[in-house]
Parts: sequence; structure tokens; C-alpha cells
Amino acid sequence: MNLMNHLLALALAVPLLAAFATPLIAMISPKARNMWVSCVSALITLIVFGVLCRVLSMGTQVYVMGAPSWNITLPSGLAIPVRIILEADAFNALVAFIASLSSLAGAIYGLKFVRKFTGLEFYSALYFLLTAGTLGMILTGDLFNFFVFLEISSVASFGLIAFWRDRPEAVEASYKYMLVSQLAAQLVLVALAFIYGRYGVLNMAAFSSVVQPDLVSKVVLVFILVALGMKCGSFPMHMWMPDAYAEAPASVTVLLVAMSQASLVVLCRFCFSIYGTAMGTSVIPWALIVLGCLSMFGGVSMAVVQHEVKRLMGYHSVSQVGYMLTAFGVGMLALGDKTAMDGFGVTAVAGGIYHMINYILYKGLLFLCAGALYMAAGSRDLDKMGGLARKMPLTSALFLIAAAAISGLPPFNGFVSKWMIYESVYAVHPILMVVALVSSVLTLASFVKVYQTAFLGPEREQFAQTHEVPRAMIAGMCVLAVAIVVLSLFPSWTVNTLVRPAAEALVNKASYGAAVMGGALSCSAVFSLALVSGTRAFGC
Amino acid sequence: MISANLPYFVFAVLFLIGLLGALLETNLIKIGIAIDVMESAANMFIIVLGYRNGGYIPVKFLMPEGVTNFVLPTPQALTLTAIVIALATSALMLSLIVMLYRHYGTLDVREIRRLRG
Amino acid sequence: MFSSVFSGAGFWDAGVWVLMFVFAGGYAWLIRRAGRSDYKKGTDQDEVYYSGNVMPDVDVFTVPASSSYWGFREALKAYYSRLSAMHTGVATEYVGWFVLTGAVILVFVLV
Repeated sequence: MNLMNHLLALALAVPLLAAFATPLIAMISPKARNMWVSCVSALITLIVFGVLCRVLSMGTQVYVMGAPSWNITLPSGLAIPVRIILEADAFNALVAFIASLSSLAGAIYGLKFVRKFTGLEFYSALYFLLTAGTLGMILTGDLFNFFVFLEISSVASFGLIAFWRDRPEAVEASYKYMLVSQLAAQLVLVALAFIYGRYGVLNMAAFSSVVQPDLVSKVVLVFILVALGMKCGSFPMHMWMPDAYAEAPASVTVLLVAMSQASLVVLCRFCFSIYGTAMGTSVIPWALIVLGCLSMFGGVSMAVVQHEVKRLMGYHSVSQVGYMLTAFGVGMLALGDKTAMDGFGVTAVAGGIYHMINYILYKGLLFLCAGALYMAAGSRDLDKMGGLARKMPLTSALFLIAAAAISGLPPFNGFVSKWMIYESVYAVHPILMVVALVSSVLTLASFVKVYQTAFLGPEREQFAQTHEVPRAMIAGMCVLAVAIVVLSLFPSWTVNTLVRPAAEALVNKASYGAAVMGGALSCSAVFSLALVSGTRAFGC
Repeated sequence: MISANLPYFVFAVLFLIGLLGALLETNLIKIGIAIDVMESAANMFIIVLGYRNGGYIPVKFLMPEGVTNFVLPTPQALTLTAIVIALATSALMLSLIVMLYRHYGTLDVREIRRLRG
Repeated sequence: MFSSVFSGAGFWDAGVWVLMFVFAGGYAWLIRRAGRSDYKKGTDQDEVYYSGNVMPDVDVFTVPASSSYWGFREALKAYYSRLSAMHTGVATEYVGWFVLTGAVILVFVLV
């Protein structure tokens, strides 16, 4: 049995198995639990790295669950895939690898961060479940499978946000997030039911080959856009994000960031690979652009006035997601028009994807540094901190790297992705670029404020006994910092090897369907099959 | 037209009742019940989509000989999964409500707003 | 691996910036080397220059985070009062914004 063929399934199976085995292993001793958590996280990262290497060298990978062989997507005599199919192309695999890196960083950091609390076996189990849910959302090729993994990761995150359940604010944040999240999940379920009733297929590639721009498809796309936009944190529906990101333990917030990007991955799948030119209306790209601009400016202007560190960073998350939504909206506007695509479309999508992976890395590092500040200073309020750079030099250096990356300062990776976004949105309308630049300036302003008040300044006597945080936490932060520095120093390698193939894989709807269904499938056979089941459903 | 599409109208009404409940209710438990009604409506919608007139149950060894007319099995599998998910999330929501009541002393959602601004 | 990233209108090269930081660091080191360590502590030579004003007599001289960017916040008071009023913290209003956004986009798509 060639293990390399089954890497995709292992990427989902290992975290799930580890999640349910963790409470049993934790019964042996806390040291056994810590070793188990770190070894399994490293194993998950290795597996997903293997998937990424395979995809970059051999093209899009598919995996069929439950078939006699791993690549029989179309069983004999059938025209559509009937089993659950996992699919990894250059876009999926890249984001999955970065998400697994952030999970590794959070797991190593969490070894010492939550050490003093009880219930750690359930914390680690839920942590692995959240990792499994995030990777499942990214790597799946089936719509209902996406819904199941969406709910797995959501439920795990509800529990993890309320981890410090003696704090009323944590339970309140978890409840508010749960309320909007359940509503979004029900909208997704109704949208999937619409798809099944009208077209009879639930596989993403099969759906992409039969979708037509009629009423049902448009309503489905709006439901998915609103629900997944809420999970990413776009402006009017973002209010849960600062609450939940602030009240969760810092090692969990890193995974919450990855989970929001997983929802953005599926949103891009819907808009580019499934609908593509069959969207039939330009309202959806403009809706994304408007939501993106509102998020960029609204998020960062709320962030500048906050004085609690993690709440400030939560509002910055809203703003950064706005950059990605604007970039993907601009890319969608250019779909179908070859000159526009070559001119600014592919650059916009590439900028959006690059910003996605940069965001997971530097936002994760920022939250881990904020957690280190919480551990050292005992409070998240910036008014009570000051002069901590003398006591925590490593943390302040890592915070400086992350703050420079998020503000888009050269030479960091945040600058390259923001620059690609600026240049491509300028081609649609200059006002979009103005909003993006102003948001960058305000981001820099708020992080200068955080660095100045938390780290610089005179020494305070209440911090005389403070010392640097434990080495495991520094190691977790360094995982992300090394990734940021590598992406910063080799931008052309990153763009040419990782980001551009991902952008081309995303905008190329035909190759996505062909990779799953073999390409030799006759489109009309699928369409007639779907139409028959569809008409019989809505007229029974 | 109305009688043929009656299940879909019922689904729409139930879903809207749940949605309005989640929007306008102020008691935490009533909001939880409204979310549950919404989930049940979505599950009912999926089941109804699979129905075929005069169809038998989609289990091969329980159908009489020579019958080819059966309801679709896929929506039933989807609904079972969705029911389990709804159950788990309802349980989690109720436990969060219990903890919120212990902390804040009230079930009014307008009082539970320490995280604002 | 060390080449530049080209976009439609320009190029970006990380090596140039790292070189610039090296030069700037060297220049800063030269300036710092020109400092003198033979100053007398506790006299006027040790005092902070506060633009000729009198230094306030506090133990810890720092600007807390809540007072930073006061001018910015005062200038945009109208915008900020409305924006903060929008973030009430009531859970059902979060649902309300969600439904409102969905309804607006649905109206624009279907009409």
C-alpha cells in the first residue's frame, strides 16, 4: 500500500483520531499528553507538507473515500461522482499547509500557556478537532462534507472560546459567536438543499459542470456569500470577531484565524471554481468589493481607538479580511474577459491568495505575542502595561516583525501582497486603492500605538519581577516568525512557485472539473441527468 | 400549484418563524428554541426534496418484487447528519445559556453586553 | 530565488531593502559611536529636553493607550459616535446585521 497515495485522507484522519485518543493518553500523565500533542501536530504538518509537494509536482490530487481504489472518481456506469471526494489543487494545498503550520505553532505555544488550568485533556482534544475541521473545510471536494466540517470546527471553537469559563465575558463571546454561526450554518444547509433539489448533485466539480445562471443558483450564491462572509468577518457581520478573538486563549485564536481563512477558501471555490462565468450577474463581485471596502475602513477605524490588546487585533482581522474580499471581488469582475484577466485579474487573485497566507502567519504571531503579554503583565489592558521590552526582548522583537508585516512595511511579506492588491484594484477604480492605502496607514498607526505603550517607555515598578515567557511559547512564536521571514526574503520564489500556480488553479474552472471527473465525461449526460431529477423534485 | 408545493411553503414559514425568533426575542432560552425551529425547518426541507409520488422506501430487500419507484435515499442520509449536528449544537447552546445565567444572573440578552464598543 | 517580483507597473526586490537596512544600521552605529560617555549624572546634563518647558513631576512619564490619537478621535467625533453606537454588544443585533446584509444583497441580485 503506497502511503503517498493516501496522504489526503491521512491529513483528515490523523487529527480526528488524535482528538479522540487525547483524553485516553492524558490519563497516563501530563507529560505524555504534552508529548502526544506536539508529536501529532508535527505529524499533521508533515502530512500536509507532503500533500503540498505532491500537488506542486504532480498536479491536482483527488482522493475518493470508500472506493476500492483511491482514484476511482466515476464508478463504472455512472456519470457523476457518487462518493465523497477530497481534492487538493495548488490553492487548497497551500492554504492547508499554512493552516497546519499555525496549528503547530498554537499547539507548541499552548503547552505552556494553559499549563495552570484544569481540563487540559479536553482542551487538546477540542484543539485537534478544530484542526481537523479546518483542514477538512479546505481539502474537501464535496459540498455536504464541507457543511459537516464547518459544523465540526464551529462546535469545537465554541467550546474553546469558552475555555476560561469562570470569566463571564468568555462565555458571552462564545454564545454570541454561536448564535450567528448557527444561523449561517442553517443558511448554508438550506442553500445545499436548493442545489440538491435543483441539480441533483452535491459534488463541487459535478455541480460546477451543470450550474446555470438561473434564479435558484443566484439565491444559493447569495446565501453562501452572506454565510461564509460572516464566518470570515466582513464588515456589518463582524461584531462577533473582536469578542471571540479577545476572549479565547491565544493559542486557540491562532486556529480561529485559520478557520476564518478556511471559510474564505470555500467562498473562493464557490465564486471561481464552481460558478465562474456562470454567475450571470455582476452584483456579486461588486457586493464583495463593497463589503471589502467597508471592512477595511470600518475595521481599522474601530481598531485605532481600542485599548485592549486582543480586541484591537480582532478589529484588525476584520480589516485584513476586507483586503482579501476586495481583491477577490476585483478578480471576479475580470472573469471571462481575457484582456482584463491578464491585465489585473490574475494579479488580484494572486494578491488575495498571498495576502491570505501572509495574514494567517502574521496574525497568528500577533495573537501569540498578545498572549505572552497577557501572561507577563496579568492583564490585556494597554493602559496598565509599559516598558516591557527590557524584560521580554524576544517577544518584543517577534512582535515587531509581525507588526511590520501587518502594516505592509517593506521588506516584509505583507508589503508584497498589499502591493499586488493595490496595483490590481486601481485598475477597477482608484477609490478602492485609496481606501486600501488609508487602511494601511491606520493599521501602522494602531500598531505603533500598541508597541509604544506595551513595550517601549519607562520601566514600571509593578513589572520588576516580570521575566521572559517560557521557551515553549517562544518556540511556537518562532515557527510563525521563521515562515514570515522566509516569505519576506524570497518574494519572487514565493510568488512564482506557490502563489501564481494557486491563482491559476483557482480561476481555471475547467481544469478543476476535469481533475475530479476525468475530463472525458460528456457534459450533456450529466446535465440531462441533473435536469431530470431536478424537474421531478420541484413538481412532485 | 399551492397544494403541490405546500411542503415548501410550510418550510418557508417555519424557517421565517425561527429567524424572527432569533432576531426579536430577548429571552436567551427563546432564542435557543428559535434556532432549533430553524434547524428543524431546514431538515424538513431536505427530506421533502427527496419525496417521489407513490415511492417505496429505498431499501432493496424491503421493496416488493419489480418495484423501481422509490424515494431518494441521499436526502435521508443528509438529514440524519443534520439532525445530529442540530442536537449537538442545541445541547451546547443550552449549556452556554446555563453558564451565562450563573454569571450574569439574568436571561435577558439586552443585559448581557459587557463586550461592546 | 533572489530575483525581483515584477508587476504590471513596477518591480519589488527584497534584497535592495535588506541592503538599505544594513546601510541605515551602519550609519546609526556611526552616529551612536560619536556619543560621549563622560557626562555628569544628576546635573542638568542628564535632564530630558522637553522643548524648553518644565518637566512635570511624575514618577512614570508615559502616554497611556486610551489617550493616544486624541486629536484624531476628536476630529472624527461624529463618525466615531455613530460607529461605536452601532457596536452595541446585544447578540440579537448581530443576527439583525447579518439578516440585513443578506436581504440587501438578495434584493440587488434578484431585481
